[in-house]
Amino acid sequence: MDIKKSNRKRHLDTLLTATTWTFAVLTLTALMFIVGHILINGVPHLTPSLFEMRWTTENVSMMPSILSTAMMVVITLCLVVPLGMFTSIYLVEYAKKGSRYVKVIRQATEILAGIPSIVYGLFGSLFFVNFMGLGLSLIAGALTLSIMVLPLVIRTTEEALKSVSDGFREGAFALGSGKLRVVFRIVLPSAVPGILAGVILATGRIVGETAALIFTAGTAPNIPQNLYGSVRTLAVHMWSLSGEAFHTNEAYATAVVLLLIVLIINTVAAAIAKALNSGRIK
Amino acid sequence: MRKKLGIMALVLVALVGLSACGGSDEGFATNREINVISREDGSGTRGAFIELIGLQVTGTDGSVVDMTTSEAYIANGTSIVMGSVAANTYAIGYVSLGSLNDTVRAVPIDGILPSITTVQDGSYPLFRAFNIAVPFEVNDLTQDFIDFILSAEGQAVAEGRGYVPVDSQALAYAGAHGMTGRVVVLGSTSIAPVMERLKEAYEAINPGTTVEVQSAGSSAGINAARQGTADIGMASRDLSQAELAEVNSVTIAFDGVAVITHNDNPATTLSSEEVRQIFAGEVTRWSAVIQ
Amino acid sequence: MVGGNTMNKIRKIREFVMAKVFMVCALISVLALTVIFLFLLVNGLPAIREIGLFNFLFGRIWTPVSHPPSFGILPMILGSVYITLGAIIVGVPIGIFTAIFLAYICPKKLYAMLKPAVNLLAGIPSVIYGFFGMVVVVPLVGRISVLLTGGGTGASIFAASLLLGIMILPTVINISESAIRAAPNSYYEGALALGSSPMRSIFFVIVPAAKSGILASIILGIGRAIGETMAVLMVAGNQARMPISVFRGARTLTANVAMEMGYAEVGSLHSNALIATGIVLFVFIFAINVLFTIVTRKHKGA
Repeated sequence: MDIKKSNRKRHLDTLLTATTWTFAVLTLTALMFIVGHILINGVPHLTPSLFEMRWTTENVSMMPSILSTAMMVVITLCLVVPLGMFTSIYLVEYAKKGSRYVKVIRQATEILAGIPSIVYGLFGSLFFVNFMGLGLSLIAGALTLSIMVLPLVIRTTEEALKSVSDGFREGAFALGSGKLRVVFRIVLPSAVPGILAGVILATGRIVGETAALIFTAGTAPNIPQNLYGSVRTLAVHMWSLSGEAFHTNEAYATAVVLLLIVLIINTVAAAIAKALNSGRIK
Repeated sequence: MRKKLGIMALVLVALVGLSACGGSDEGFATNREINVISREDGSGTRGAFIELIGLQVTGTDGSVVDMTTSEAYIANGTSIVMGSVAANTYAIGYVSLGSLNDTVRAVPIDGILPSITTVQDGSYPLFRAFNIAVPFEVNDLTQDFIDFILSAEGQAVAEGRGYVPVDSQALAYAGAHGMTGRVVVLGSTSIAPVMERLKEAYEAINPGTTVEVQSAGSSAGINAARQGTADIGMASRDLSQAELAEVNSVTIAFDGVAVITHNDNPATTLSSEEVRQIFAGEVTRWSAVIQ
Repeated sequence: MVGGNTMNKIRKIREFVMAKVFMVCALISVLALTVIFLFLLVNGLPAIREIGLFNFLFGRIWTPVSHPPSFGILPMILGSVYITLGAIIVGVPIGIFTAIFLAYICPKKLYAMLKPAVNLLAGIPSVIYGFFGMVVVVPLVGRISVLLTGGGTGASIFAASLLLGIMILPTVINISESAIRAAPNSYYEGALALGSSPMRSIFFVIVPAAKSGILASIILGIGRAIGETMAVLMVAGNQARMPISVFRGARTLTANVAMEMGYAEVGSLHSNALIATGIVLFVFIFAINVLFTIVTRKHKGA
């Protein structure tokens, strides 16, 4: 009897071990399969014509979209980083612990973080594009995206500010510094890597976004002349191409570039996180 | 450890292999189900197609009902229809004649292949107008671009792309050269490809100008023209009375609607009634229409 | 002395002003949320009133351009629910087991490879998933579907669930992993000391201890799956009728908005009904948020 029981136990152990390994391998396989498939089919089609400065119906160049993506990222970050930073300064340094404001703000950012991007697109097209009359434009897209990534920036900046040791603050206060000075000279500089990590995560979101941009920034394939011109970011470009039966190879090649950008963003984020962890005394 | 890595590698190879050996074809089995591919509600192409093929049924009480089968796969773009049909042996769909390419096969309707000639002489039954919505007041540059579209050069561009010109006797473009500025053209995904060509031709003649073409759907285009967020709206359907109260409608070309199947599909011709039955879901197997 | 005083005053004013600036910035997120909700309500509510709440939520027919039109979104609600459920069935077991693997079993060398892989999986844009789904998953599922049911294009609930299941993996893995790591190590050691095997200690002691964190990861996964638009749009078939089989297509709430938004005449009932669809989506997300708050609060209390 006992032997049988212990046998069964051993079987269970083996089963659990096997299942765990299998599923972990499955996760890795899924990634390798997706990335591999894109690379194998895309890399051979990375032709110079895909990187010409002007998009035409013939070359379907992705260069304008790469530049548009950079513009979109820069403008969105310019809008969202100060806003997110100030919000978290308020939450961490100014607000009383457990005040009702803080609760409401936190709840609001949590809900904002959960809203699907298509709802942002819907709102952006109602509010920025139509109500404010910005049209399908770079600025309408950037405004929409900045609300979308705001929770992310707030959360990461907040974490970064919180991780700054109180000793720093107290020391500065003891020397007679005003609060503002303490925040800008002492707290913020030591929180920079954490904030940077948040900015990079936000960049990743902006680069990968499609649904919120189609209805706010439009799909014009060339570089806009000003903020009120329509743009097509690389992800939107990828979406346009993937629907076109005659540009499948170009779609694969575009996917490769998009993946590469995401990979770079991920690597940088990981490097910062690593530096943060090793730098911090636990 | 090494063993486990080995297993991992095996799984990987198996998966990649599974995806690679996809191309085995077994020929066309007529007893198979027809995979109907349609466009989304509100699409100009769909509107024209259902009206012309008789899927749009008007009741005695003034009701208008779209009889397209609810089983139809809905693709949100001309090119997605084509891509889906190209990838699916048993599919049938419909696209703008001008977008047609050899990845799919256009089926003759009642024995007539869609082409510029057959649309022009009226023997091919499925075609619709390509319209642009233009505000009552337009700036010089916008007017010049419209003049170009309707000129012999512009119409030649449209014809070169497989569309049917509005006026084969159009006069040559006599625009004021040396124009500068920007025109925003927004709307129908079906018109966008030809508008891109017109834009390229126009910009070549007028280097100081930029024409921005965006595809966002017919209604979005008309609305943008009404609100002034675009200079010209593209609509692959007729404008409603409410819309015509605020903007002018100009027909820039005609476009055939091609019924398409996979290249391996042996159907030599379909009657328009058969097409209607297929899209209404009354006929669901290829054997019913292929002898 | 006087100079010092004014300096002090200026400093005080500056402190005061900046404190207010920070507060105003902090309130912008609340304002943004309010404006989003208001704009959806103002545009969507009249449509719901015109259609009738019951007819809108439980109507089975969506024919927005027929006369008279019908705006029932039950097919899309069910489409979203089924596809999300499918994604959970695919993604959650794989995700949780992978999280356990990462936290307890994974050799260090493999961890250095697997963890970035999971993060990369999170970073891949949904269009790439969608494209991959369109060119690989759909044809594959199509073949399976023909084999099993004798028909079908492959663009189906099954394909969408499979793809979404992969897409929610990083959410489930990362949050579950940290929950499992947060479970006191002493539990594990205690179980080992009582003679339990390592595997059994993990599964019957650690995992139950981390269950609210794991549950939270599942809830966030559900949120991600319900909100996903582009990838689903490209693989689900998008038929606006009641879902009938896992091998047939369905349309989700998100796809409904994304597909028809460009075609609906602005200000028309059709366009407002789409905005109302957005409200329903919003309500779903709100409910998920409340659920998440409850689950994580319980965890903190314990």
